[in-house]
Amino acid sequence: MELIMKQMPIVFNALNVGFLHTLQLFFITLIGALPLGLLIALGTMSRFKLLSLFNRIVIWIVRGSPLMIQLLIIYYFPGLVLHNPIWGGGETGRFWAASVAFIINYACYFAEIYRGGIQSIPNGQTEAGLVLGMTHRQIFFHVKLLQMIKAIVPPISNEIITLVKDTSLSRIIALQEIIWAGQSFLKGSQGISGAVWPLFFTAIYYLVWNGIMTVALGRLEKRLSYFK
Amino acid sequence: MKKLLSLLLAAAMLLTLTAAFAEDSDLAYVQGKGKLVVGITDFAPMDYKNEAGEWIGFDADMAKAFGASIGVEVELIEIDWDNKVLELNGKTIDCVWNGMTLTDEVKSAMSCSNAYANNAQVVILPADKAASYADVPALSGLTFAVEAGSAGEAEVKALGYATTAVSTQADTLMEVAAGTSDAAVIDALMAAAMVGEGTGYAGLTYTFSLNSEEYGVGFRTGSDLVDALNAFLAASYADGTMQAIAETYGVQAAIIPQA
Repeated sequence: MELIMKQMPIVFNALNVGFLHTLQLFFITLIGALPLGLLIALGTMSRFKLLSLFNRIVIWIVRGSPLMIQLLIIYYFPGLVLHNPIWGGGETGRFWAASVAFIINYACYFAEIYRGGIQSIPNGQTEAGLVLGMTHRQIFFHVKLLQMIKAIVPPISNEIITLVKDTSLSRIIALQEIIWAGQSFLKGSQGISGAVWPLFFTAIYYLVWNGIMTVALGRLEKRLSYFK
Repeated sequence: MKKLLSLLLAAAMLLTLTAAFAEDSDLAYVQGKGKLVVGITDFAPMDYKNEAGEWIGFDADMAKAFGASIGVEVELIEIDWDNKVLELNGKTIDCVWNGMTLTDEVKSAMSCSNAYANNAQVVILPADKAASYADVPALSGLTFAVEAGSAGEAEVKALGYATTAVSTQADTLMEVAAGTSDAAVIDALMAAAMVGEGTGYAGLTYTFSLNSEEYGVGFRTGSDLVDALNAFLAASYADGTMQAIAETYGVQAAIIPQA
């Protein structure tokens, strides 16, 4: 116990730095993937068959292969195959490579949720809008969009909570997020070695953050429930 | 759609072109970008962080001195040890300098420098049982936790004893401490730092070594940085800087004379 007390300041400092990286990746992914997902969703529903087919193939590849392999490909492929290591070896390069991989991956999941949301709105509303002389653009933005947002909040919340935990996969390209930080004390770091508890303690960080997310997303859902 | 396609094709061509201009000389490539990126793991006393959060250690200080000698900055970056060859070939790092044992597998995957330090694989046992296992034959019948693909695993397999492969050397210690394996085999330098009184594994001890082996620095296959480093090692041994750095970290006994 005394040993743990002595280790605490060093360990928490390292875990906090690691969790900051986790959160950075989390927010960048949301900022990138939420709008990109909508673009991909609209693409799959496009009247241009080629565009729709292309988007559906992208979704199939991204959702159908492991995120861990996608991280490895996006980070190492430019240097290995094109002999042009665009990301560089530093921590910033690793972070951006991880961000790109996560944005693409999550955008594809979001796209399918968006598509479900859009298609859940009865066709009668479009027809009514057309009869009233509205354009397709007006019908989408003024009639459908808010209903769609309301319908997709629960499944999106689900993905957001998964995303918090998935960020730990980025350790495969040596992005030093919180699990990496926790595990480093097992192997030996900053004079502490063979300490198992920091690794398990990382779970508390995820739990607390996901608790905050659950409450925030629950509130959002409540605020959007004025249709019924 | 056509515009997008032509844009994509143009981008692909640009990437192929830059690829074609890749230099033949790795030394020129590193000097051109002004930075030597060194792949490491947190491995005291070779590469580890001081209180200010800077990387120090025998390997870290030697790498900085080597960088200065070829006129480039040195960036030490932590990598996933399993991906070291991928990192080298993908040019995300320029060398692996982290107390790396020169095994046949390592030598076939990368171009290595001359050996600069001695190491050994030592047997880890619970302290209260160490006395009953005084030599190699006494160890037969025990199950050994080893790091997958490590020099320690090769040694135990050569003896024909039972092994359990885990993912890091640190995990092997946890196996012995938890009693899920009877013994473990890890690097001597690491054992000295991690096992015994005052460490996280006070109940374990290290006994005799199974072999002796050497540490070297790994570069991309065919890299001319190998010659540059060998020349630097010889010069720094001749003028005593290498020994001075070794004494700072208490590894002077392990240093191999360079010529």
